[in-house]
Amino acid sequence: MNRSIVTVILLIGLFYSLIVVAAGVSTWRYPDEQQGYSPEQPIAYSHRLHAGELGMDCKFCHFNSLESRHAGIPSTDVCMKCHKFVTSSYEVLKEELDLADKEKRKPKTIISDKLKKLYASLDLVDPKTPNPDAKLKSIEWIRVHNLPDFVCFDHSAHVTAGVACQKCHGPVESMEQVRQFESLSMGWCVKCHQESTENGINGKAVHAVRDCAVCHH
Amino acid sequence: MINEANKPESLHHANESGPPMDNAIIPEKDLFQLNRRRFLEAAGFTFSAVALSGCTRPDPELALPFAELPEGIRPGQKLTYASSCVDFPSGCGLLVSVRDGRPLKMEGMPEHPLSKGGLNAVAQALPLGLYDSHRLKNPLRLGKKSEWKDVDEAILKTLSSVKDSGDAVRVVTPTVTGPTLKEAIDTFLKQFKDGSHITLDTVSHSAILDAHEKTHGARVLPHYLLSGAKVIVSFGADFLGTWISPVEFTADWRTNRVPIEDDPQMSYHAHFEGRVSLTGGKADRRYRLAPDEFGTVLNHLYAMLSEKAGKKVETAKLRKSPIAEADLTSLAERLWDARGESILLCDSQDVAVQVVVNAINHLLDNYGKTLDITKPSLQAQGNDREVLKLIDELKAGKIAALFVAGTDLTHNLPEHGKLAEAISKVRLVVSLNERNDDFSSIAHFVCPDHHLLESWLDAEPVSGLVSLSQPLLQPLGNTRSILESFALWSGNKSSAYEILRTSWEKNILPRSKSKSFRKFWDQSVHDGFIEASSVAPKVSEFKTEAVALSPQAKPDEYCLSLYTKVGLTDSRHAHNPWLQELPDPITKVTWDNYVSLSPTTAEKLGVSDGDVVSVEAGGSNVELPALVQRGQHDRVISIALAYGVKGTDRFAKIGPQWLESRLTVAEGELVGKNAAPLISTANGSLSLTRDDVAIAKTDKRHELAKTQEYHSMELPKNIAPYGGEYRDVVESTTLAAYKDDPEAGMHEKHFDTSVQLWPDDHPKKGHQWGMSIDLNVCTGCSACVVACQSENNVPVVGKDEVYRQREMHWMRIDRYIDGEDDDIQVSHQPMMCQHCDNAPCETVCPVLATTHSSEGLNEQVYNRCVGTRYCANNCPYKVRRFNWFNYSHEDSLVNLALNPDVTVRARGVMEKCSMCVQRIEEGKIDAKRRGVELTDGDIQTACQQSCPAKAITFGDMNDSKSEIHTTLDNPRKYGVLEEFNFRQGVSYLRVVRNREEGDSGEGGHSNHDAHKHSEVTPSNSNNIVNLDEKRTSETGGKHV
Repeated sequence: MNRSIVTVILLIGLFYSLIVVAAGVSTWRYPDEQQGYSPEQPIAYSHRLHAGELGMDCKFCHFNSLESRHAGIPSTDVCMKCHKFVTSSYEVLKEELDLADKEKRKPKTIISDKLKKLYASLDLVDPKTPNPDAKLKSIEWIRVHNLPDFVCFDHSAHVTAGVACQKCHGPVESMEQVRQFESLSMGWCVKCHQESTENGINGKAVHAVRDCAVCHH
Repeated sequence: MINEANKPESLHHANESGPPMDNAIIPEKDLFQLNRRRFLEAAGFTFSAVALSGCTRPDPELALPFAELPEGIRPGQKLTYASSCVDFPSGCGLLVSVRDGRPLKMEGMPEHPLSKGGLNAVAQALPLGLYDSHRLKNPLRLGKKSEWKDVDEAILKTLSSVKDSGDAVRVVTPTVTGPTLKEAIDTFLKQFKDGSHITLDTVSHSAILDAHEKTHGARVLPHYLLSGAKVIVSFGADFLGTWISPVEFTADWRTNRVPIEDDPQMSYHAHFEGRVSLTGGKADRRYRLAPDEFGTVLNHLYAMLSEKAGKKVETAKLRKSPIAEADLTSLAERLWDARGESILLCDSQDVAVQVVVNAINHLLDNYGKTLDITKPSLQAQGNDREVLKLIDELKAGKIAALFVAGTDLTHNLPEHGKLAEAISKVRLVVSLNERNDDFSSIAHFVCPDHHLLESWLDAEPVSGLVSLSQPLLQPLGNTRSILESFALWSGNKSSAYEILRTSWEKNILPRSKSKSFRKFWDQSVHDGFIEASSVAPKVSEFKTEAVALSPQAKPDEYCLSLYTKVGLTDSRHAHNPWLQELPDPITKVTWDNYVSLSPTTAEKLGVSDGDVVSVEAGGSNVELPALVQRGQHDRVISIALAYGVKGTDRFAKIGPQWLESRLTVAEGELVGKNAAPLISTANGSLSLTRDDVAIAKTDKRHELAKTQEYHSMELPKNIAPYGGEYRDVVESTTLAAYKDDPEAGMHEKHFDTSVQLWPDDHPKKGHQWGMSIDLNVCTGCSACVVACQSENNVPVVGKDEVYRQREMHWMRIDRYIDGEDDDIQVSHQPMMCQHCDNAPCETVCPVLATTHSSEGLNEQVYNRCVGTRYCANNCPYKVRRFNWFNYSHEDSLVNLALNPDVTVRARGVMEKCSMCVQRIEEGKIDAKRRGVELTDGDIQTACQQSCPAKAITFGDMNDSKSEIHTTLDNPRKYGVLEEFNFRQGVSYLRVVRNREEGDSGEGGHSNHDAHKHSEVTPSNSNNIVNLDEKRTSETGGKHV
């Protein structure tokens, strides 16, 4: 009798662990292997729209990549350069403008749900009215490209050398939600360093060192 | 174990019937029959399932950008701000690198007229003091957390009653050089009928000021200009280590200490002292002299010099000089020949002695040349008479309100108990200290000041040089600037920034040449300092009548000499584990203070290292372990101050805690013992030397953790090859020999180094990084050690791990002592990875975790290392450090001091000096970004940057314009253990002492034959002897 109770308990445990495994297998990776990682972001920012359709340069927003080791997610005020005026999608804005024209009134500011989150970061209700007492809050983006702690990667060195952003980040301009395109493994890095040294980058000779301490220090 | 007798039932069952269990289809009936094997199967599956389910992504990491990017900030980019080290009166110029809002690394400011780019160990350790969770975060009222509003209200209420009654108010601080803080304190005190500001320094220099009052009519401290001194004579003044302004003095002293091949000139430095100080060890000639006999010798020296000046002085009544007359005569001659280019320094706290010092400097015509009293130094303003008067007033209950800032009053003064009792009678006791120290714990209110890196302050270390200190981050706690506190209690509610600006506009601007304040202010903040006109008291002509040679008292059996260590100049820094673990440059002891005794005295008392002795003076008693120190005067007992600080029991568990670990601080104890109770208050001064002292052995023991009982680079005699018994790790020569042959002192090579084992298939193109260290100017001040620790995230391991020879410093300073007791010469050798081209470590690594880079660096790849430790075993320099543990930090706040460019090493990997490869990479990338070629000096290693003596040169050896390239041709250049053909990237420049061949009987290595002696004993003075050689063999068994 006792034995069967224990066995039942054990089977229940087995059942639960199977569920855990099943759930785990979907995201199962070797440690630190992140290729294809594409987490949902707090604001569904579309690189396809901005970088692809609108043709904005990567470095317009990620200007930090020119000067610093981090490319950096742009601060909210960078977004506000445009989104002070662009408060919703073109269709919605156009509809409101037409309607306002028809009704002979000033158009209302229509703010899309996505952009409300952006304005919340600066504590703004209306994007055109500055709020001097604003409680600034960072947008909690989820980091996609994350190298291990023992690797030091400097964006500015690569951007200065003429390496295209897509070389490492893949066709971001076609991604609705950013995902890690390449494996970002050491072999992958070294391969590029070797090829660049042999062939140059865009016809420019470069010396991409392959010493360990270039990245590991 | 299963045996036949108790075989489980089911096992029989399995054996008896059917196929083996593994492949069995379990009958339905048996499904619920649990047996051992089935249990293990099921459990194993469950465990592996759980383990596998853990094989997934870690939790998502957030990336938080600024909402609004502050102007000029680029995330991840390092910014450098000019500031100054106003925590210390010496006021060195600081460049603070800040990354992402965190001050991380202190660098010296090369433009600063005093410090000239150097810093000391204590300043290098500032970041750790900043990120210290034990600093007070809130004001305290009777020891309990309070609000600023309530505290101020209560203080102001008591103060208004004090104002009405006209009682005495005292503010006690260490030397304040900042004009703004001085003004704030003065404004505060002006409200009261009897208010005064008293200066109390841990090491007081009051006698020098008092002597100048007598001889020059103004209480000033001369600004010593060592760069102009060709002959330096010091009586106890440890000017390269701790005395007044060591960074400045080191930089100045260095200018005359580098002999050039074409013009081999060096200054001459003679040093008289009882204990062995850093400066004494560096001297060309060090005389053992107890501090109580300085007066006698100085009197004789004065008499000799007077005679040369044509004035006979009566010496019959003087006590006989303990120094041989011939030595004194030749010294007097040297001084006389270098009139106007010599300097005499003395750390005595006896005004009469200091008057003689002034008289000698006057005779030698040094005033106005090597001593400046028209633009005097303000770096030590302590006035002992006032301090002693305060103690009397406190005891008499005459003080109504006592404010103390920046000094632990009760800790730093003798008679702790009586003083605390006297203070308890004071109506209002306020401490503005950062911590709940000894004094704060008896204060009614504690109003914690900001850390230096959080505050706006100014400093004027030398009259006419005003510098600014700016905040580099928001205060971490609810603390308040000392400027604001005093202003508020004077009825002014301005912020520290406004107070400073107002004061500069009113006081400093008129002293400068600028007209527009805005421009002037912006420039000052940018530069960190300005040169203004001097406001100093008028000094009169030298008053000869003030000089009277008084016969000195007969010395006692012992003479106590208290001092501060290079790493711990002040009790405020006792909470900094970097400084606690920094080995003393001479004794190499960490985590303790101790009683230093000469070998003879130790033998007489029957004590050896670690035996606890009891030192009694003036009714106070301190029990500390003994340390036998070669070169110490037989009568002198020396003990370091600034230990035994309240709250340092926090370090008990600082190291890794494992099965056999022992506490860094024993239960109920502190780090070291406070020696301040032994300070003498006789003769109206706070004297650190006294004669009425008794010493006795106790039966207790306290082990000292030293870093130089091992790492010996010398071969045991029985296994040494011919000629290789003693490796000349430190080479030295004399100036006389150098003049004849610049390569004098070169170690005889026993092996041919032209043969290469490897094919020469690695062309050395591009950069080839190299380093050279000039041992002749290296003073052993250890600033580089802490700089390296700060730059490279080197962990603190605690006393027990140091004791087990597992300290982690990437850069250590080896100390070698040469010569007999009466004339020892100490050489310091910074030792770190030598970046050998033929590296012994690289060939033995089974996983290629340590390899050679194309730029000549020996790289250590942490993520590849599996921790075999073969490399460390094969390294002849013993510079590799193994992570025996994950050296966790006390709390997460300390992690903010970590350099994000350097990996924090995990347990089980080897690490060592990388020649600051992160700085090399940063420099190269920066040049690339700017589109320019890398030039010499763009990249500086952390140790090089910090060195006050500029002893370290680093650069690209392939760059013909670089400094390191020219150093390669220096005749003094040599490599340690060069003959093994390691072809190191690090070279050293030989020590040259300004001695005649003759008087360096125990001099360096000019005598090549020395190595041919068949038997060389450690006492053989022809060789530099590792001090601890003898002791290692005695205690060898213990230190495994």
